[in-house]
Amino acid sequence: MNILIALTIIGVIAMLSEILRFRKVLYPLALTGLAAGLVLCAMEWGSNIRYFHDMMFMDNYAIAFSMVLIGTTFIWFLLNPAYLRNHEHEADYTALISFSLAGAVVMVSFADLTMLFLGIEILSIAMYIMAASNKMELRSNESGFKYFMLGAFATGFLLFGIALVYGVTGTFNLQELAGFVSANKVNLPAMFYGGLLLMIVGLAFKISAAPFHFWAPDVYEGAPTPVTAYMATVVKTAAFAAFLRLFMTCFSGIADWWAPMLAIFSAISMLAGNILAVYQKSLKRMLAYSSISHAGYMLMAIVAMNQNSDGALLLYTAAYAIGSLSIFTLLVSMTTNGNEMINSLRGFSSVNKIPAILITITMLSLAGIPPVAGFFAKYYVFLSAIESGYTWLVLVGVLSSLIGVYYYFRIIIAMFQPADRESTQIQFSNSQNAVLWLTVILSLILGFMPGFLTGSI
Amino acid sequence: MSKIAFFVLAFLSIFSAMMVVFSRKPVHSVLSLIFCFFTIAGHYILLNAQFLAAVHIIVYAGAIMVLFLFVIMLLNLNAESEPHKTSAGKIAAVVSGGLLLLVLVSVLKSTDGLQLSASPDSQVGMVKNLGMVLYDKYMLPFEVSALLFLTAMIGATMIGKKELD
Repeated sequence: MNILIALTIIGVIAMLSEILRFRKVLYPLALTGLAAGLVLCAMEWGSNIRYFHDMMFMDNYAIAFSMVLIGTTFIWFLLNPAYLRNHEHEADYTALISFSLAGAVVMVSFADLTMLFLGIEILSIAMYIMAASNKMELRSNESGFKYFMLGAFATGFLLFGIALVYGVTGTFNLQELAGFVSANKVNLPAMFYGGLLLMIVGLAFKISAAPFHFWAPDVYEGAPTPVTAYMATVVKTAAFAAFLRLFMTCFSGIADWWAPMLAIFSAISMLAGNILAVYQKSLKRMLAYSSISHAGYMLMAIVAMNQNSDGALLLYTAAYAIGSLSIFTLLVSMTTNGNEMINSLRGFSSVNKIPAILITITMLSLAGIPPVAGFFAKYYVFLSAIESGYTWLVLVGVLSSLIGVYYYFRIIIAMFQPADRESTQIQFSNSQNAVLWLTVILSLILGFMPGFLTGSI
Repeated sequence: MSKIAFFVLAFLSIFSAMMVVFSRKPVHSVLSLIFCFFTIAGHYILLNAQFLAAVHIIVYAGAIMVLFLFVIMLLNLNAESEPHKTSAGKIAAVVSGGLLLLVLVSVLKSTDGLQLSASPDSQVGMVKNLGMVLYDKYMLPFEVSALLFLTAMIGATMIGKKELD
């Protein structure tokens, strides 16, 4: 709750900075605010307070995911000083990002379906705007428009689903819903299942799992690169945390009905995302497809639905966010030169030796190679899926991560090749170098002590 | 008394709804639609749903109909420039409209013998009761939706504002 207030205050301060002319200090102010928010969040650890007639429930699950979200945003701010500072819309961007983060925090801590809906909407609307924020560029306009139209449809599905479930159960509250489901497990009416199906469609769109992923490549490619970085990390983490929280609290009793469907979604996401990523020449589009495949792995944790799911998902989202932020640091510097092709990375390592090594390590983490965080993230997700008897899904997962290794290594190989006429100069600022170091250190820490996160919830 | 009011309102709302479809000028259709919305708001008041009636007038008769009027005036639609409808389109419209009628009639028929499980609370739609729920139980969603509108407002000004350079 405190964190929600703090994030709102950051947003309001950002809006005031334009009027009261202190925009120059906004960037450090926002960074301090986020750091303070992280501390505020950590102080609530273990308190398990229910706020305002059980609208929000700050359990350890909510706090852990909130901390991942705020930490990711903090690193995101460090990554993008060139994008944010001295920009005409710096105040607007900062306000939108902090409000969307508040929405994300609502999404991971909701205890009532109205709060879930509001959280998703706050996050999504801010993202539609940010995707279209590069007004002069056609691709950015297309990205924002596509995201808005399809996102509005998905929201409609979700809302219709919530309404149908409310029609059957007569409550929005997660605990009462769970009680209703466990009491009427055998004779739930068809309307309930219809509502559940519509909710799954809406949420699967938000996490960009196949077969609801068609918007993702275009939107990710068209949006300004810093915004893509935010969508791939914060938005994805929040959507998954909300998905798992809803299904773990309310619908785990009827997992036999929905889990096979989600298992198929997960398998298609992993295969389609990884196979299509192989064919991409643009690094940005490749990362979009790889984010679809990672959605498939994360969905596996929801399919498994046992006591290890939440820990596995937390580790996976953290490892994925950290790895992505590192690659996006590279991509943000690349796109300032207007070039996002993988081939233009040739000769990168001869100029930037240390960054090349650091990015290689996080790339290995995303590909799932030990001893970095990504390997253990996959390991825990696979483990919890096997415990629930989805061995075939794990086989698909292992096979598709082998494909994933191929295209991640394409980037690594391109970086270490000698320069040719396609290659571009890439410069990192000090804070971007700091991000590269920070992400490597964090992924090594998570790689050596994955239990630190998985056992925490 | 309320029975007479109901029949008058019902007649007016059906009549104005028919006018929406049958009038040849788009502006007349829109005006009849506004009238129709007002009569429906009257039904809400008869059903003790004051808040719903107010919201209905503000949102539908106010905001949405203004949008409709703007679109009609900007596109400069009038009876002469109305596009000619193909016979395939007319058949499709008749079939889909007939199907909707069929569904509505069958649903209404099947609700005939249904018993209510509990008698509805006739006071539930009054503004006072709604306010008690909104500012007590649903306090947090109410406040958080302010955040949603703030976000949308920042976005609208940011996207709509002219760039300086």
